Amino acid sequence: MNESTLYRKLVDLYAGSELPAELEEEMEAAGFRDKELSHDMTTLRQTVELLRTTTRTDLTEESMQRILMKLYSRGVDIQPKAPEPMHLQYHLPIAG
Amino acid sequence: MPNKESEDGLIEKRWLSALAKGDSAALGGLFELYGERVFRYTLRMLGNRSDAEDATAETFLRVLRRSGELRADGAFRTWLFRIARNLCIDRMRQHKLIELPTDAQYGGTEERTTLRITVHQALSELPMEYREPLMLCDLEDMPAREAAEVLGITVPALKSRLYRGRRALRDKLGGSMIR
Repeated sequence: MNESTLYRKLVDLYAGSELPAELEEEMEAAGFRDKELSHDMTTLRQTVELLRTTTRTDLTEESMQRILMKLYSRGVDIQPKAPEPMHLQYHLPIAG
Repeated sequence: MPNKESEDGLIEKRWLSALAKGDSAALGGLFELYGERVFRYTLRMLGNRSDAEDATAETFLRVLRRSGELRADGAFRTWLFRIARNLCIDRMRQHKLIELPTDAQYGGTEERTTLRITVHQALSELPMEYREPLMLCDLEDMPAREAAEVLGITVPALKSRLYRGRRALRDKLGGSMIR
């Protein structure tokens, strides 16, 4: 298998940032010599990044309350157990 | 210093053994650990907040009902997502249609909002076999082995679908990616 074929097989791992840094640098260098490879690397990685950064869907307080109400209405006594707030975990010395 | 993953693993173990002993209050601890992730997953699968809230509540209800079968061996998260997935599939069969989220929290600039809608639209148009690996691996950051177990397929099959899914999404997004 020649170098170019190998890099083409690694494009998917590159897109998901799953390659070790050293191999990633090698691929980027190969991209300078091979426009098609470079296009594939850039656009696939951009796709993954776009997915990760633009499709955030957070659980809002309202949704959480509605989920809890649904559980209460089915007879489940659920109390989310959040970690203790930081200000309750540590006692600061009181000066004076 | 323990990392977040191993810390969560220890907390999960504690809640699971409490739940298996009949301590129903432990469900709150598991909800705290996984409630948001399950909700995000069901919202992406179903496309609307109301159905996702129902599916999330039902998922945790099933955990409670089947608490006797629970094992604190690290497979809980896979099992939890499988329950959520099955509930979503049932619901999708009833609706026969996946809607786009109309109430998604679109903040930021107009350009960013347009981009988000474009990505949501492109993702929702992908066949399910591509969309699910993208949601689990790229959006939920789930390891391939675990995602494969949730979907009931082999790791090579998962990777193949994931890679094809990324390419299909890229092709759908086309010009939107030029920034």
